[in-house]
Amino acid sequence: MTDSSIFEDVREEIAYAFDNTVFFREHMQAGRLRPEDIKDPEDFRRIPPTSKVHYRRNFPAGVLAKGYTLTSPNVMRFQSSGTSGDRLNSAILSYDLARRQATGLGVNRRFDELWRPGGRPKICRFAPPNCSDVECATGFSSLADRTLPDGTLVLTVAHDLLATPEWQIVKALDEIEVYQPDLLVVDPTHFAFLTRWTRRLERKITSPRKLHIVCGYTLMTRVARRQIEEFVGQEVPIGDMIGMSELGYLGFECHHGRRHINNVDFYVEFIRDNKPVEKGEVGELYVTTIDDRLIPRIRYATGDHFTPLGNSCECGSDLPVVRIEGRATHMIRLQDDRIVTPGAVDSVVGDPPWMDLYQLEQDRTGTCTFRYVPNTRAQASDGAALQARLADALAPNNVRLEAMDYISCERSGKFQPCISRIPAEGSQ
Amino acid sequence: MTVHNPWRDDFPALRREIDGQVISYLDNAATTLKPRPVIQAVTEYYETNGANIHRGKHRLSEEASDAYETSRTMIARYIGAAANEVVLVRNTSEALNLVASGLDLGPDAYVVGALDAHHSQILPWRRVGRLDLTRVDAHGRLDRDHFRTLLRGRPQVVALTHCSNVTGVIHPVEELISEVRAACDATIVLDAAQFLPHQRINVHALDVDFMAFSMHKMLGPTGVGCLFGQSELLAKLRPLSVGGGMVDWVDLDGSVDRRIPFKFEAGTPAIASVIGCAAAIRYLEVLDASKRHQHAEELCTALVGGAIARPGVRLIGPPNETDRIALVTLHLENGVPAGEVARMLSDSYGFMVRSGHMCAQPLVTELAGGETLRVGAYLYNDVAEIEGFYRALDELLSWMAPEMEMGANR
Repeated sequence: MTDSSIFEDVREEIAYAFDNTVFFREHMQAGRLRPEDIKDPEDFRRIPPTSKVHYRRNFPAGVLAKGYTLTSPNVMRFQSSGTSGDRLNSAILSYDLARRQATGLGVNRRFDELWRPGGRPKICRFAPPNCSDVECATGFSSLADRTLPDGTLVLTVAHDLLATPEWQIVKALDEIEVYQPDLLVVDPTHFAFLTRWTRRLERKITSPRKLHIVCGYTLMTRVARRQIEEFVGQEVPIGDMIGMSELGYLGFECHHGRRHINNVDFYVEFIRDNKPVEKGEVGELYVTTIDDRLIPRIRYATGDHFTPLGNSCECGSDLPVVRIEGRATHMIRLQDDRIVTPGAVDSVVGDPPWMDLYQLEQDRTGTCTFRYVPNTRAQASDGAALQARLADALAPNNVRLEAMDYISCERSGKFQPCISRIPAEGSQ
Repeated sequence: MTVHNPWRDDFPALRREIDGQVISYLDNAATTLKPRPVIQAVTEYYETNGANIHRGKHRLSEEASDAYETSRTMIARYIGAAANEVVLVRNTSEALNLVASGLDLGPDAYVVGALDAHHSQILPWRRVGRLDLTRVDAHGRLDRDHFRTLLRGRPQVVALTHCSNVTGVIHPVEELISEVRAACDATIVLDAAQFLPHQRINVHALDVDFMAFSMHKMLGPTGVGCLFGQSELLAKLRPLSVGGGMVDWVDLDGSVDRRIPFKFEAGTPAIASVIGCAAAIRYLEVLDASKRHQHAEELCTALVGGAIARPGVRLIGPPNETDRIALVTLHLENGVPAGEVARMLSDSYGFMVRSGHMCAQPLVTELAGGETLRVGAYLYNDVAEIEGFYRALDELLSWMAPEMEMGANR
């Protein structure tokens, strides 16, 4: 698809949103804009970005397009916990979700056999409980209670990952065995935890079908990835999904391990200081939906930051390649005004085999504490090199290392590898 | 939303906007917001004192002890009790557990309760005795014949609820207590957590043996529950917890408990919160009672009238304003999930209401069959807010109704 043809799609989306949603019409009118004023990408950037706040405040009456209700056919409603409490009630058309998923997974040849004509993969989800829209954190729910209308089985998960009781882990493993999934959709930190327990219990995570793993919800650290790969082996395809509850698949990892952004179902911008960033610079992802008849979103500021790396990749996909940097609210702000993204922190940490989990926390004074859970391979001297790398990356701020056997999750059940109490400017 | 309310400005939390939207707090049966004097009292304690109470001889400790005991005295006066008849605990649940465990009932002790009780007036009794619950009718009024029948079983304890946190029904407690006294010699334990925030009680005139309530539901800070007990009954009650502060003497052979109410207050209490309770009582005492009563009636009329008037909603409770507080619980028809609606009422419209089983699952299951939505108003709310709430609910239900009922305007 050419840039000009996709921009025509954007113009249609703007006109559709203007004609059919109360919120966007008022948003444009507040900026003294009409759809016909938007002729090219420069005009387009005159539209003030929209955000989660707008879509939360105006849902459903202001953002659902004329002709739809929350019970219209193919409308899937959900309530997401959001990140750091930035929650959202929203809805999505099931076929838009499928379309975006297909585009995303299309960059990875190892996932080709997942969808066969006439068939639908059996999906099992192991993710933070507030992301699941079903009561999965108590022992009362049955397998049937946790099966979503589309057939996805949500496994039982505790709110505080490292405090998960053994019965809950056994229940999850038993249910995977019974359900026989094709696809595990997991939070990587949660799934790495499950693999550690599975080894301890001398169990296996298998299916008579060919198993695939999609990771999402939070940043996939190299530490988590290494554990998952070691556990499932080379035969099981693993892909890192870039996604948001309200939008579905925004991108996916190709079979060469690079992340591609979906610029087929979305018009994407990477923005800093209200301007597009150059290749190799960090920018916030703004997306404009293409042909979303339910809740069209125009210049939707996702809060997620990426570094665009160009369009060429050995995998053959034309979708732009990006490096995931993380959310603004999780970025470390240094005294010299430099910002270190969660993605950059993960690069510094790397993949030390003696570590099972980590979390870097910056307190309000700016001091950083790197807490980690060592495993049985850890030696007394292991931390020194990491301490030096972190001190270098986070200078002039102080950083200290603490070995722990427990690190808590946020209340939603998500585990963030990088959190700051002094969020970067412009974060929401 | 335009509201004109003489008390609203005293509540700083109501000035808050979320996503640029003024909030309307209608979850008052769970807890009330705090007026500025209460917040100041708590802050002042931490800013100017911060010492522990009762066991210190220094100046700060004595000042803190004085302020703490002044609160107890004011709470006691508010309910017509003596100060030594008021035990300060964490909440109503702890107060009721203290009575249930402290009466030293035998394993077959027979206890009569009510179906519309909060879990905290059911589970402690189920743990210590054989509990029978008095039925309620379809509108949540007590089945008086059934109550009398149960009394013929000569219960050792009758656990009453003054006002249901689900239906808002105020039970005729004076009459019920008279019936109990005439029928048997049961200990009468009253849960007044929902009633006392709305109307005063004189415990001795009421002739109740024990009464529990929470200050946080009547403008006070969280972390303070109160147990009133007639002094001779309190003296016989066994403490729930033992340890520091509740004893006069400890040696290698034993210990001597302090006098009531202190023998029930082991450990360091929520000092700042208790001190804040005095400010809450002062705030309530100076309110114009007739103005407040009229205001509550207007809120109740708006809540009940609104529920009766609209389709898609079933009122769980009486379809009138007689003997009830300004609270309604609604069952949403057509399988509309109450929790999802509560989230959208909050995030899209700014109305904070509660959803679920309201810690009264047996009653909610019986009358509603599943989760409900509860709207509880208090003195800082206005009829305009209730009307706004119902408009928001109507709009949401129109978006969530089954497809065939979709409005022509969409």
